[in-house]
Amino acid sequence: MSAPLTRRAFLRRSSLAVVAPLIVPSRVLGQAAPSRRIAVGIVGCGNIADSHFEALLGRPDDVRIVAVCDVDRVRVEAALARVNRAYGDAGCRGHGDFRELNRRPDVDAVFICTPDHWHALVGIDAARQGKDIYVEKPLTLTIREGRALVEAVRKHGRVAQHGTQHRSMKRFRDAAEYVRSGGLGRLERIDCFIPPNNRHVGATWEPEPVPPGLDWDRWLGPAPWRPYSAFGCHYNFRFIADSAYGQVTNWGAHYLDIAQWALDRDASGPVAVEGRGQFPASGLFTTATRVDFTVHYAGGVPVTCRTRHEGGGTVRFVGERGWVDIARGRMSASDPRLLREMQAPGKAVSLPVSDDHHDNFFASMRSRQRPIADVELGHRTTTVCNLGQIAMVLGRRLQWDPAREEFVGDEMANRLRGRAMRAPWSLA
Amino acid sequence: MTADPAPVPPPADLPKNSFGATPDPWIAAARLDYGADRTLASAVRDQVVHVATAPERDRVEEKLLAALASPDARPAGRAFLCEMLALAGSARSVPALAALLRDPATSDAGRYALEAIPGPEATAALRDALAVLAGPARAGVVGSLAARGEEVRS
Repeated sequence: MSAPLTRRAFLRRSSLAVVAPLIVPSRVLGQAAPSRRIAVGIVGCGNIADSHFEALLGRPDDVRIVAVCDVDRVRVEAALARVNRAYGDAGCRGHGDFRELNRRPDVDAVFICTPDHWHALVGIDAARQGKDIYVEKPLTLTIREGRALVEAVRKHGRVAQHGTQHRSMKRFRDAAEYVRSGGLGRLERIDCFIPPNNRHVGATWEPEPVPPGLDWDRWLGPAPWRPYSAFGCHYNFRFIADSAYGQVTNWGAHYLDIAQWALDRDASGPVAVEGRGQFPASGLFTTATRVDFTVHYAGGVPVTCRTRHEGGGTVRFVGERGWVDIARGRMSASDPRLLREMQAPGKAVSLPVSDDHHDNFFASMRSRQRPIADVELGHRTTTVCNLGQIAMVLGRRLQWDPAREEFVGDEMANRLRGRAMRAPWSLA
Repeated sequence: MTADPAPVPPPADLPKNSFGATPDPWIAAARLDYGADRTLASAVRDQVVHVATAPERDRVEEKLLAALASPDARPAGRAFLCEMLALAGSARSVPALAALLRDPATSDAGRYALEAIPGPEATAALRDALAVLAGPARAGVVGSLAARGEEVRS
């Protein structure tokens, strides 16, 4: 029996291996083929992509970034330089249009790191082109977009991981298992705290010239048109409701996701929501500066999501035995024994284990099994964020039917489940 | 009993009224520019999202349509009013929105509202626009019809 042909050996024998490394998509040659290396394209090369570049470039030879895309040429060039420098060749190519990247036959997986208003369109197109996808949180901007993305992923048999990487962190899995196992006794409520929203930029703002290299029309894509301003573009888009819902869909997506996990509602959701947000009456930013909403689950506990000016984001489970408070970087409890119990093995409920969100995604691509943060649960978590946003905008209690994904008896709320896209973009 | 002191006259240089008239927020919303203070538009939004009865909604819709018809409506103001009609508009708004839809310069704003307004009137307006629009604007209408669950032949 001969030794398996390694990627490196394959390249050595290939007459095609000349200047740029040959990346054969793993699906073409099959899982036993010499190329089991997964070829990745990254769409959106800003702040949120940084952590992906760092992690993927630090991986062993099983994954390679072969394409980067951004509507800002400066960012594409920076990403290209970073990737090619790390690999020591010129094998990565840059794009300004995600559709080019999605149509490259040598790309296996597409990482979607764009502003939120682009997630659904890039993801659906990638699924239609046969790509597996890793979608940063929130899964989509609206509820309607989320359901469309789930359907596209299922229809085309793709693997889709939602970028809620807390699902791949032991402390959050421990907490979800502990709560589900009754470790806190009867669960009374879950409190999600999120950092404050917006920077203050004044009641007015000035349109500015579009910087060289930035395709502003493409940056806006399906979002309503507005003139460019530096504060209204990279990163800060998350504080403009045309693109995102502030910290509700930023940190809230992480902590509400863990609440959903602990309540075993990954295929369902709340049945009611109420909220009162404070929205800036003027200025560039339009998302709530003070977030305060509560979702209610059938037969379950209330889950709150509130702005906290000190202490950052966290999820706190409150039960009859006390509370545990879990953040990405720290844990606390009303009694240290609760944390020790929570972290101990052998709890009554065991959840699927993933200790690395990227590893889990790539393993799922190879096995064709659903990943730890499958697109459906990503959609359900993003829906909770949307419910909170809609309740705060309308300022009233709303009934939600998680099976039909519609509000009960509130037409205005139902209209807010989706929104028209700027031409020519659409979900069709 | 002590007599009241005689009133002190105001200084001669004090304006009689140092405040301007309160602007009509509906008209101000129509005149909104990108980057301008949108406090009055936010007041309109508050009224729209808090309508509780059918007559209130009718009144709000009437106000929005009147503002939309304002001859000095600005692109940002028009987009804002259409966003509000996406929430509170009914078949009564369809003619005004259909007119916006057919003009490529205002098509996105009109379609933003029309896509959200239930009923055959809005669907018919979108279908009718297919015959007069081309390019991106037409593609947008196709997408809106699909979002409403309508079949469209390209």
